[in-house]
Amino acid sequence: MTKMNRRTLLKSASGIAGVAAASSVLGTPLIAQTRSLKIGSYGGYFENSFKEFVYPAFTEATGITVESVTQPNSTDWLVSMQQATAAGNVPADLSLYARDTLIKASRIGGLLAPLDPKKMPATSNLDGYFVFEDTTGAIGVGAMSWFTAMVINPDEVDAPESWAEFWDSSKFEASLGLSKNYNSHFLDIVAATFFDGEATLLEKDGVVSVIEKAAEIKPNVALWWSAESQMEQSMKNGDIIGGQYYLDVANLMALDGFAIQPVFPKEGNPQDYGSWCLSAISEKADEAAEFINFSSDPATQALMSRKIGTAPLVDKSKTDLTDDEFAFVSGTPSIKPAYEAYLDNETFIKETWEKMLAGA
Amino acid sequence: MTLVSDTQAAVVHPKPQSARFTVSVPAVVLWTVILFLCLTPFLLVLAISFGQKIEGASWEWAFTFANYERVFVGANWPEEFTALYLQRLYYSLFYAVIAALLAILTAFPFTYLMTRLSRRAQSAWLVFILSSLSLSEVFIVMGWDVLLSNRSGLPMVFKETGLTDWLKANGYFETMREWGLANPRNVKFKTSVFATVLTMAYLVWPYAVILLYPPLSRLDRSMIEASQTMGAGPWTVMRTVILPTMRLPLLGATLLLFVFLLGVYVAVTVFAEPAKQTMAVSVYEAVRGNTLNAPFGSAQAVVLLCTAAIFLVAGQWISRKSAP
Repeated sequence: MTKMNRRTLLKSASGIAGVAAASSVLGTPLIAQTRSLKIGSYGGYFENSFKEFVYPAFTEATGITVESVTQPNSTDWLVSMQQATAAGNVPADLSLYARDTLIKASRIGGLLAPLDPKKMPATSNLDGYFVFEDTTGAIGVGAMSWFTAMVINPDEVDAPESWAEFWDSSKFEASLGLSKNYNSHFLDIVAATFFDGEATLLEKDGVVSVIEKAAEIKPNVALWWSAESQMEQSMKNGDIIGGQYYLDVANLMALDGFAIQPVFPKEGNPQDYGSWCLSAISEKADEAAEFINFSSDPATQALMSRKIGTAPLVDKSKTDLTDDEFAFVSGTPSIKPAYEAYLDNETFIKETWEKMLAGA
Repeated sequence: MTLVSDTQAAVVHPKPQSARFTVSVPAVVLWTVILFLCLTPFLLVLAISFGQKIEGASWEWAFTFANYERVFVGANWPEEFTALYLQRLYYSLFYAVIAALLAILTAFPFTYLMTRLSRRAQSAWLVFILSSLSLSEVFIVMGWDVLLSNRSGLPMVFKETGLTDWLKANGYFETMREWGLANPRNVKFKTSVFATVLTMAYLVWPYAVILLYPPLSRLDRSMIEASQTMGAGPWTVMRTVILPTMRLPLLGATLLLFVFLLGVYVAVTVFAEPAKQTMAVSVYEAVRGNTLNAPFGSAQAVVLLCTAAIFLVAGQWISRKSAP
């Protein structure tokens, strides 16, 4: 009995070894042919749309398979990537960062690898502003952009012509939802509505006057939201009847029949954008360049506008988007956020803003 | 008690020398692991709290007291003073004290009545309360969020039953607007101190019952019966017999819930307006938020921890003083 067991064991063991050897011989070239790339994007509806529409089109065009990685957002992801880079193993090759996070990553240094523009000819379709270069080279290429729009409940109020109407307590007492973060563009809105825009925020005195003006809206704010879902729920529930919210999500909610209407007042709405950034320790620079090249193509930009609701980074005339499709994701005028000011005077602006909110 | 000491004696007695040796190696390993797991995160937070923030980027290791200074006087000291972070510490304590007291005050009569039920009913209640502990803070907050929402919760009930109109007609509505509990259209409970404290008390209520159940079920019935025979009414019994014997468990349970509530995050972010948010929220926003200021977050965490420690030590002192 023992002998037989030993023989069977040996036989099966050699069998397994044989299969393993064979698979290693046969398998290696097969694996080498399958090129792959791990790409991060903001979780939820956004990431799902990427997985459903954009990545398959890319795989079809290039044969490179994509593994989607969920990012919670831009800033928290930078913390995770910073720790992962130090540990020597990153969860994603390409990440999606907003411009302020991208500048921050550039200042921290050692987190992002420069991209080779020659390998990405389609990036010439983008405005130079969207290809961010620091001393090491181009470290971020625009992926898509989005607006933070004024929204209202059309059943309760008429569309305001200016952001200034939100300060009118006879209309909006305890009825607005604004973002609680100091750099979620409400300051840019105040600066554009009552001051000289971006230039005002570059000076500390300017920041103080902008925040003083922002303080006057406090009696009208019922919700200072920190998570997107809070704003969504409050608009749906009628806890609030206006505020600032993402244009694409607002349009999707309106399509679902909820009482929400995005508005472009005369000062405009803040436009932010995300960039593809390659991790400094990724070994997939070539695949990443191919993906960015694909993403910068006007056809892909139009695909993203249709399926994800982001605004294209290329001129509308280069895409085949209709006027209605374009109006769904974009609008004019756009307010350009004062990214540098938020970074250079980070602690000062944050604390002054929070003091205003706290009334301290 | 006697059972435990007997078994210990039986184990240790036969071979005292070797027993001590075999016990000590696992004990040393165990203590090392426990100390490592408990102390490392704490020491790390302490070390980071002395670090330095680089504007527009991340932070670096350093040895500066600037972060602690900022907690007490603000970042722009000495040009400008702000009590912003002390105000947050105040709200941490405020919510935790009120919610802990509310939970204990409501759980105490409930638990007392529960201990007078049959064994079967008692265990059914205990199982029910224990299982409700499996609900996380996020679920509970979501639930209350819906219950207090304009279209699906309490404000809807106010409107549909005509209570809102009654309040408006009798002038109470204006008072509610002044208190921040109404907008021009209807009453509103989000955001408010009321909603925050209510949810926090609800969150720890099962713990309050579980903490109060053992002492209350051990309460000597004969004392109550004796006082009743001597003609004491229910209130006199409660005041002169039950409460004095329960003083220490009540104090202990309140302290425990208080310390637990100091760190509540989700309920505060959802139900408290930014002017009334706590230090726990501030810590999270410094570390994970937009500024990546882990040193300042750590300094606030250390201050919060010291505050909790002061309360625990004070509680210990009071209970030792009042112990017979």
